[in-house]
Formats: sequence, C-alpha cells, structure tokens
Amino acid sequence: MAATSSRPFEYLEGLPGTVFYKLYQQPSTALAIFRRMLPDLAKCFVMALLYLKDPLPAADLEIWVKPESKKERDNALSILGRLHILSNTTMADNVRAYMVTNPFASSLRQALTGAGETQSFGEISQADEDRPVSVAALDEYARRQWESVLGYMVGTSGLGEQQNPVNLSKGVKQLLQAGHLVEIRDRRVEITQDGFAFVLQDVNRQVWHIVILYVESAEAIGMDSVEVLSFLFLLSSLELGQSYEKRNLTSNQLRTLTDLADFGIVYQESPDATRFYPTRLATTLTSDSSALNNPISGAIAGPPGTGAGKEGSGFIIIETNYRLYAYTSSPLQISLIALFTTLKYRFPNLITGKITRQSVRRAIEMGITADQIISYLSNHAHPQMRKHNILRSTSNKAGMPPTILPPTVVDQIRLWQLERDRVKATPGFLFKDFVSLAEYEAPCRYAEEIGVLVWKSDRKRMFFVTRHEQVAAFLRSRANRPMQ
Amino acid sequence: MNAVDATEHYEARADDPSPSLLTIILDTNPHAWATLEDSLPLATAVANLLVFIDAHLACNYANEVAVVASHTHKAAWLYPSHEQQQQQEQQQQQPHQNAPKHIRTDGDGDVAMKGETQGKAQPVNKYRPFRLVEEQVTRNLRHLLESTDLADVKASSSTMMAGALTLALSHINRRGIAWADAHGGDLDTAQEGASSTRLKDSATSTSTSSTGEGLQSRILVLSVSSSTDSAHQYIPIMNAIFACQRLHIPIDICKLRGDAVFLQQAADATRGIYMALAHPSGLLQYLLMAFLPDQRSRRHLVLPTRVDVDFRAACFCHRRVVDIGFVCSICLSIFCEPPENGDCLTCGTRLDLADYGTKPAVLARKKKKKKLRPNGAAAADTPTPVGTPGP
Repeated sequence: MAATSSRPFEYLEGLPGTVFYKLYQQPSTALAIFRRMLPDLAKCFVMALLYLKDPLPAADLEIWVKPESKKERDNALSILGRLHILSNTTMADNVRAYMVTNPFASSLRQALTGAGETQSFGEISQADEDRPVSVAALDEYARRQWESVLGYMVGTSGLGEQQNPVNLSKGVKQLLQAGHLVEIRDRRVEITQDGFAFVLQDVNRQVWHIVILYVESAEAIGMDSVEVLSFLFLLSSLELGQSYEKRNLTSNQLRTLTDLADFGIVYQESPDATRFYPTRLATTLTSDSSALNNPISGAIAGPPGTGAGKEGSGFIIIETNYRLYAYTSSPLQISLIALFTTLKYRFPNLITGKITRQSVRRAIEMGITADQIISYLSNHAHPQMRKHNILRSTSNKAGMPPTILPPTVVDQIRLWQLERDRVKATPGFLFKDFVSLAEYEAPCRYAEEIGVLVWKSDRKRMFFVTRHEQVAAFLRSRANRPMQ
Repeated sequence: MNAVDATEHYEARADDPSPSLLTIILDTNPHAWATLEDSLPLATAVANLLVFIDAHLACNYANEVAVVASHTHKAAWLYPSHEQQQQQEQQQQQPHQNAPKHIRTDGDGDVAMKGETQGKAQPVNKYRPFRLVEEQVTRNLRHLLESTDLADVKASSSTMMAGALTLALSHINRRGIAWADAHGGDLDTAQEGASSTRLKDSATSTSTSSTGEGLQSRILVLSVSSSTDSAHQYIPIMNAIFACQRLHIPIDICKLRGDAVFLQQAADATRGIYMALAHPSGLLQYLLMAFLPDQRSRRHLVLPTRVDVDFRAACFCHRRVVDIGFVCSICLSIFCEPPENGDCLTCGTRLDLADYGTKPAVLARKKKKKKLRPNGAAAADTPTPVGTPGP
C-alpha cells in the first residue's frame, strides 16, 4: 500500500480531472493504473463494480467489509476517488452509491476482454528479423545506459575509468539538471541532496522518478503530457524480447522513444529503425518491486560481464557488529556504499567496511535519510543473508514478517538519524474554531478514518490534516444536512 | 518522535505484496453441462472464466494462474500445458492451419511459447499475457473435448475431482518451491512459521503471518457434477482436502448445479468460500465479487460462507454416503455395515461386535443423597487455626 505514497501516485494525483479522462481512454493505461496504483482492497472494489449495471449502494459496500477494517476501506475509497476511478452518485431514492467512472470502466473492460479497435497494447513486429536482439543483450544495453546515468550523477570518473564509457546525450543531462538531481558548478557536475536520495533508491523507483521528470519536462517543450504518459503505460505492458512496430506511433511518441532510448528504457538500433524493443526497465514499470529481483538490478549492481546478476540482485552482507562486505567491483556501487560506510579494504571483487556513527551522520548531513540507507541495504542484500535471516526471524519471532538486515543495525542507523532529526515538518491544513465539541469530533473522526489526520487536540478543538478536500466536503455535506 | 521501538522495524515492505497463484479446476463433465445448456452453456462459462482469469492476472504483475480440467475419465491440464504436449500439438496443427512459416525454436529444438501465434491474424488489442492464457485454455479444452469418445462418456457419469485436486496441489507445491528459490525465502520455515502463528491466532484469523511471505495459493473449483456419483473418490478427495488444510490453501467452491457433499467439507475445512449459484447465468459477477479477492484482501471482507455444511462421509466398503455408520476403533475407517468376520478392511484389526444390535440397558441413575452433617454450617468453616506448633 506504500505504492500510494510513491512518486508516480503523487504526480498523478495532482493532475486535473480532464487529464484523467483523456488518460483512461487507453485500455493499457487503465490496466497499468489499476495494477500499480491501487491497494488490494481497492482492486477488489473495482472488479466487483466493473460489470455491475447499476451503481452499488454505499451501504452494501460497507456491509461487505468487516467492521474492523473500516480504516482500510475508507483508505481504498479515498484513493479511488482521488484517481477519479470511483464516483459517488445518488440513486433515485436518495441512496448514496458508488460506480466506476466511465472511461476507466470501459477501458478496463476492454483490456480484460480484448475488445475494441485501438491498438492499445502495441503491435508486434511481424517481419522476420535478420538479427533478433536477445533478452541478454537488451539487459546489457539497459544496464550500461542506466549505470552510465547513475555514474554521471555520482561522478565515478574520479574513482576509476569506466570500462566502456557511454556518451550521455545532452537531453539526459538537461533532464537530470532540470530535476535538481545534479547541479553544474564551475563546469563540474555536483550531485544534490535529491540526487543522493535518488541513487540509493531501487531501480524501479529511479526509473519512475526519471519518467515523471520527463513527462513534466515534456510539457515545457510543447508535447502533450497525456500522450507521453499513456505511451509510457503502453510501454510498460509490452513484452520483453519482442520487437514492436513503430509505424503507428505519432511523431511525439517517436520523439519520446528516442529520448527514452538514451536512458536504456527502450532499445532501437538507430532512430530510423522501423522497430523498437522495450527493455526490462520498461516492462517492469508497472510491476511491483518483488518482480524486480531480476537480472537488471543485479547486473547494475554486480560487475559487468561476470554474470553475477544471474543469481539474484544481492551482493551486500552486513553482520550484527556493523561490518559490511560487498561483493562488487563496480565503481558506481563502491562510491554509493562509501556514502554511508567507512571503507576498510578493497579486493578485486570485494570491499569491506564498517557502518559507524560518524559515517552515517556524514551521510545524513548530505541529505540521505536512514530509511534510504536501510532500503538500499535490504534491496541489495546477499541472497545468503535473505535466507539466513528469514530462517532465524521466523524461529524466534513467529508472526513477524522476516527482516533481512540485522535488527540491531537497522535500529542503530535510525537512532543515529534521530540524534539529528528533532523536528519534523508536515505540510498540511489546520482546522480550528469549532463551535461545539460535537461539531469538532465528527470531522476529526472522519479525517482519522480516511487516514489524513496528523495531529489533534480535543481541548483546543483543533486538528491538522495532510489533505483537506475530503474533510471539507464532509463538512459541507454536514452543513447542508438539516439538523436532526 | 520516538519512532524507534520494536514494532516499526518489522513493518513489512508494504509495496511488496506477494503474488498469488490461482489454480482453477473446471469440471467438464458432459452429463452435467448438458443439463445446464439452457441457463449457462459451457462456451459462455469458459468465456466468463477467461475474463475472471484476466482480472486475476491484472491484479498483480506476478500473479499466476493454472487451469485443470476435471473430465469424466481423466484430469487434464488446460494451462499451463506441458511443453511436450504442446510441441505435439504444434506439429499437428501445422499441416492444416497453414501456421507460421517460421516457428522460432530455441537451442534444444523446443518450440518457443511465443511462436505459436505468430502467423495468425492477431487480435492486437489484447494484453499479451492475457491472450496467451486464453489461447492455450481454449485450444487445450477443445483438444480435450475432441479426444473424448462415446465410450468414455458412457463409462462414467462422474468427474475426476480427486485427480484434479491432486494435480492442482502438486502444481502449487512446485510453484511455491520455485518462488521461494527465486526470492531467497525458505519454503519450509516460512510455512512452519505461518502454521505456528495460524494456530495461535486462528480464532481471530487476522494473522500477521500472511502479510509478506511466500506465494499465496488458492484453488477454485467450478463444480457442476453431483458428488454422490463420485463417492468412490471419497478417500483421495479427503486426503487432498487435508493436505490443503495443512498448507493453508483455501479451496473455493463455485457450485453451478447439483449437490456437493465433499466439496462443502473442502471449503469448510480449508476456510474457503462455498457458493451455490442461484442464477448460473450471472457467473462472471459472482466470480469477480466473491472469488477474486486473494487471501490478503479476504481478511478485510465479509465472505460468503455456508453454515449448514453437509458433513456426511462415504463408507470405505461400498462407497455409500452414510449418515450413521460403523467406525473402526483403531484406524477410524467408516463402514456402512459391520465388515465380514468383524475384520476391519483397512487395518485388519479384529473388531468385537458381540453385542451389536441389542438395546443398551439404560440404568436409572441413582440419586446420591447428600448427607446432612450434624454440625451444618460449622463444617463448612475451615478447621480452626490451631497455630503452628512451636519448637
């Protein structure tokens, strides 16, 4: 459900309703959003309502969900509302009811049944290829391109020569700059705080980050963001290892394609080729991170060409005594690890180091958060660690989801961050000046149920929320209702 | 502020929901479908089922599906079909379907899965994974129905539910191991952990264990045959049910017609959903509403379950469904009548049936008279403290 707090979700949420209307015309977009952005319960609601002729009365929906899961239900409904998927209607006898909004419903139905004429899921190239590009080659291409982007940001050139340097196109550099991931000072590339946060994320999130930056910048240069977005969702539903025809694409889409090829998200032999291949970076866009335990993140991590990525993505081992061992020789990964560890030794395929208070604080001062360090470590944990720690944590703490990292290390990294972080800012809205306690309590409880409440004070009759639209709507609906 | 306490660190990676494997058992008994012809022909049912499968696959990128047909004389895979079988079919198809000029083969000469659709006029507007499933299911189903001859249909009017359940279970097991291998989890311990917690909080059934780990598997049976015909499969069906119970695999039953004694028990024992459809023509809506939610979502939903479960068993000697029978005291085998010579057919124990049939003598219970103690209330008192004996 954290997918809901992710960047793509935030971006989409901010779009106006008309954009959604246009986006949902495409079955592939409807499918991708359904799959990637919704929590489980919301998916159940959508599917249950999808083939209903009449709107489902709200009371019926409420009965369907267990009373103790009220919070999940409201959260799901709230997300569906924000993405303009579910709408409230009133039936003839003044009963509140839900229905799936139309372009979304018809597109999702089309996606499920395959009806309709729009070529929403790409056109597979029919002609025989002289030299079909293998999946391994695509992975290698995506890895090289992506690593060079990261390498450019971190500035690995100082650490050692890149094996086969890829010249980044000007567009890529501009995009990174426009997204404030890097800054150019005195002709030197310097990574920003956002940039640090970016490089420590897992690959899927990085790709999303870039993609959204791209969409934002597309608007600036006069491309239709809806067109670009729906093309991206189309890309994500293509199949790895297949080539697709370009002839039905619009000129904007072709332009997008060329730009994305620079990042390694798609592959084409030349900008004039008649077909393109999506790489794994594209096809896993709308998958969950579990599907990303794939050769790419491994290959990006591991040394190129050794096939280390084949066995899984992990290469880092952490012991409970804060020692860290990383089986890598990639200058990129070494410089990433060096951000928050004190490195001790370097061997041809291994580096060792120690996570210390000093090193973590240094990282935090650069703008990296403890959560980023922890998620980086657990994303890249060695398979042996996964196995070992899952075994152990189920044996002594049955019921808890297994952790991959030693809990002491995780706790300590967070504690070191807390030493610095004493104040946390949450942007939001304050509701105050309620006349009566009863008038205060109802919206407050409602805000808590939809999960936007941050703070409340019963005595002062104030509460603070992260989002105000729904609470305001709730207040309005109460105001309209005659007092009973 | 003090966010560092023990709870938060075990927080599951919430954006990492484990995928679920849905195994569908489609009862293809021709006798039963013939009676359903008016309300829901098989073709419509399969079409509805395919939309349901697509909906399941749409829920998560890594979701998997498997379809088994439970036919009159055998249980057969509809999806995924085995490579060999597929290869044979490829060869069979080739001559009369002027299929692809060029079927791509990999190093071993196996036909690549994607080769099969290349030459045909394609419905381009379908998400490819959906189309692959659809094509394989319909092709295999057609193949199965074509290969059924009159003798097979005449020979039996029931369905091979036990075989299908066993196939489904073995597939789930194999996928579970493969998934655990790929994701670094250890299957045995994960399951052990799950079962131990499940025992603890089985009452609340909101266990935390099912959040993160493992492939979530479940079985959906689309049943049309009456199971009184399949009483001879009682023992294998019950064994499959107990295996599912142990592995926490819910068996959902979608009953289109007939009664299903054992399947009710299956859903009940494994905490699955049992639904007898009042209007079979609305199959798709039933499927999407009741059977689509996976185990994670089900924790939040009120599920349709059955209260009056038919717990009757089939006897081991004549495969009759019995209300009251004889039970071997050693191995708990059930018999509809006392076995010959009193020897249990399963374990061979000699059972003593000497007094069978005689009316048990009902003894009038003697009422115990309470003797009233002479000193009444004082007796209730604790013995008067005497004080500890001094040294």
